[in-house]
Amino acid sequence: MTRSRMIAAICLLVLGLVAAGPVVAQDKPPLIVGAIYVGSVNDYGYNRSMKDGLEAMKKAIPGLKLIEAENVPETAESERVMEGMVQQGAKLIFATSFGHQQFAFNVAKNHPDVVFEHAGGWMQAPNFGNFFGATQAAWYPMGVAAGKMTRSNTLGFVVGVPIGYAIGNVNAFEMGARSVNPKAETRVVVTGGWSDKAKEAAAANALIDQGADVVTMHVDSPATIIQVAEGRSMSSIGFQSVEARELAPKHWITGLGFTWGPFMTETAKSVIAGTFKPAMVREGLGQMMTIAPFGPEVPANVRQLVTASGDRIEKGFNPFTGPVTDNTGAVKIAAGESWGGDKMGNFDWYVEGVIGKAK
Amino acid sequence: MNPALIVGVVAGSIMSGTSLLYATLGEVVGERAGIVNLGLEGIMLIGAASGFAATALTGSPYLGIVAAALAGAAANMIFAYLVVGRHANQLATGLSLMFFGIGMSALIGRPFVGVLITGLPRLPVPGFAPGEVGARLLSYDILVYLAAPVSLFTWWLIFRTRWGLGLRTVGESPAAAFAAGLNPQKLQYQALTFAGALGGIAGAHISVALTLTWAEGMTAGRGFIAIALVIFAKWNPLWAIAGALLFGGVEGLQLQLQAAGADVSPFVMNMTPYLLTLLVLIVWGWSRQSVAPAALGRNFVGVE
Repeated sequence: MTRSRMIAAICLLVLGLVAAGPVVAQDKPPLIVGAIYVGSVNDYGYNRSMKDGLEAMKKAIPGLKLIEAENVPETAESERVMEGMVQQGAKLIFATSFGHQQFAFNVAKNHPDVVFEHAGGWMQAPNFGNFFGATQAAWYPMGVAAGKMTRSNTLGFVVGVPIGYAIGNVNAFEMGARSVNPKAETRVVVTGGWSDKAKEAAAANALIDQGADVVTMHVDSPATIIQVAEGRSMSSIGFQSVEARELAPKHWITGLGFTWGPFMTETAKSVIAGTFKPAMVREGLGQMMTIAPFGPEVPANVRQLVTASGDRIEKGFNPFTGPVTDNTGAVKIAAGESWGGDKMGNFDWYVEGVIGKAK
Repeated sequence: MNPALIVGVVAGSIMSGTSLLYATLGEVVGERAGIVNLGLEGIMLIGAASGFAATALTGSPYLGIVAAALAGAAANMIFAYLVVGRHANQLATGLSLMFFGIGMSALIGRPFVGVLITGLPRLPVPGFAPGEVGARLLSYDILVYLAAPVSLFTWWLIFRTRWGLGLRTVGESPAAAFAAGLNPQKLQYQALTFAGALGGIAGAHISVALTLTWAEGMTAGRGFIAIALVIFAKWNPLWAIAGALLFGGVEGLQLQLQAAGADVSPFVMNMTPYLLTLLVLIVWGWSRQSVAPAALGRNFVGVE
């Protein structure tokens, strides 16, 4: 028993080392910024998008110093990592995963002179704000791209966990597809987790077996699904980081990526100037979101359509304007009504044209 | 039921059943020697991480598989030393090994997150045009083609060789084996080396052939399903083939049914493999003639 305990202790040590990550010191920068990621920044997904945003901020403010920690679990462990960053002089900390919220908030209470920004949450304090992309409407142009590119009129969507926001993404995608191709249907497969790679591979294969020739996803990292589609010569549309196009050099159509850089830069500048004001920031295409470069197979007229549709969304077009019916024929958003903001978390139904059950 | 669904389920069950089969075969051999290894999940993770790392470093997925087998065997040697050499409790040590595997694989895999690899190539049976049913049904990697021969080999090893007879004797009664002039500890070490290598290969099939990515914890409980499969297979490598195909098939089927638009909640769908596991354990529990090795889980500490 003592030996098995020893092994357990070693395991904890190894996990601790993995979680803590390296940190180094330097002198007199205008601002030290700390950032914690829940995964690796090389995931071609969510964490990569955060990393890219922070690098853009670093570039925009000369001399700014960035302290980062990857694989920070969504537990009290993250408090210790953030405390460490404060000890090293960080005056602004980005807690980039949804589950970091409470822990970042706890650290913020102990350090009123340090500003915290959390991605995706709702908590507020004088030194605690939050931000996220308004993703749903931004999926509409992705649907336009898919609707134009499909030959089978069948689109495949792998969803990790069917929360309201993810269902909203699927809905806007299908509405975009229908706007250019009334025959387009979206088939949905739920894997039940944000990061079960083997199931994601099987789900992508299942969608392709059922006739989908364009595959897209809402999971943590698009890497597996895009590679499965590419391996079977099917088109893919990415989500989270626009860099995912490297995974599908031939059949990539386009993708939806986060661009956190401008917001992070503005926040850092306001902290340096001492003018920081907490807010709940939610921004869509043109601000926190962008359309990825197109793949080689996408013809010019499709590129124009997609870009035009993106511009329309940017200028305030809301696809969730009634009447909108669900896939059983019931009217869910009445004529004259429209859904936006917080309502995006309320979807528990799919729009007409989506093949799948939401609950 | 549409034909594409059936083809998809068959192909899917073969693909996702393969890693389950290798893991199950390894566990069968270990349990035939009287040792339960609950750390199989950790061994698979170490295999997945080292296989992916070696593939990324050398550019050869085949070397990746070899590295995964060696890493799995080496990690299982830690377990063997504690359980066989030091008589530590098998269940507690197995669970510790699982946690060790989770941490160790994260450490090995960390520099390789997001690295692009050329996965284990598919070797299609010639004569089918792309898009034909045959092209989907008969195009697999080398580990899939070898899965059935390896099962047969394992069966032969256990039931048709002198070594296997010794192994089974140790699993039934180490004292009797000892009295017959066998060295139970040596046989257990050998069995666990074999089991570790197969567990490592099982993990590498997920990272190097199925998903072409490394992510922490990516085996997602398949090591534990393999342990349940050993019971389903009644400690017989040939039954393990059926079990792995069945479980691979259930996972494939529920995803295919969702894609086909079946009128069932996705939450229920995602539970089916685990419901099946419970069902198997209940049904098998009814059959009274037990086939489990008699000394399973008990440590042999010598004879007075």
